[in-house]
Amino acid sequence: MFQNLDVFRTAIAMARHAGEQQAISAQNIANADTPKYRALQMPDFARTLEGGADGMRSTRPQHLGAGAGPEGYRFSERRGAEDPNGNTVELESEMVVAVDAKRAHDRALAIYRSNINILRASLGR
Amino acid sequence: MSAFSDALSVTSSGLRAQAMRLRVVSENIANVDTPGYHRKTIPFETARSGEGSLQDLRVGDVSLDQSDLEDVYDPGHPLADDTGHYAGSNVDLMIELADAREAQRSYEANLKMFDQTRQMSSNLMDLLRR
Repeated sequence: MFQNLDVFRTAIAMARHAGEQQAISAQNIANADTPKYRALQMPDFARTLEGGADGMRSTRPQHLGAGAGPEGYRFSERRGAEDPNGNTVELESEMVVAVDAKRAHDRALAIYRSNINILRASLGR
Repeated sequence: MSAFSDALSVTSSGLRAQAMRLRVVSENIANVDTPGYHRKTIPFETARSGEGSLQDLRVGDVSLDQSDLEDVYDPGHPLADDTGHYAGSNVDLMIELADAREAQRSYEANLKMFDQTRQMSSNLMDLLRR
């Protein structure tokens, strides 16, 4: 049963995804007033879990995959209203995305911690 | 973990740029009555920093707004010419105030992001604790 700790792997992947999401939201918010900046977004966690969010999946940084993040996530431009200066960041919706990322991160860490506790209990420690 | 340090650095670049913008705005407002003063503007631009994939916010060089100076009528002024006019500044207080308000709003958003990223990072560190 514990040969392959899928629950930990999923929790780690979820936390990592949330961290990337937080980073990309930070970039969008920092550039909320930059002319011609295009807001970026990440695929959902569920879609990345299914394997290969956008067809190809790069397993090494040397692989082709322009625009892919350090973890291999592929960012895309978010469609939305454009300011007169060509900026597409909406501060309000970006805050919502960031708070969602924080909640997902907390949830992933809670899952991880509770499973660690189960393992510890079963070891009798 | 590197995602968090990237996020913190991009957020702090945003904070720095917005603070710089507020500084320029306050210079403009302070000089609204200075004869011959051209208002200063700073451009925002993105810059890819180091090996990280995030785009930092950076301010470019300060430039002067070359639009026409306001023609003020005041015959008693030492700088007034034969017709009683002198060149004032081209600062529009309303534009500067709107700019300051926008800078403040963006600064607060960045500050909130900074705090949230720091919290996420410390929650992760708490996992190491038993």
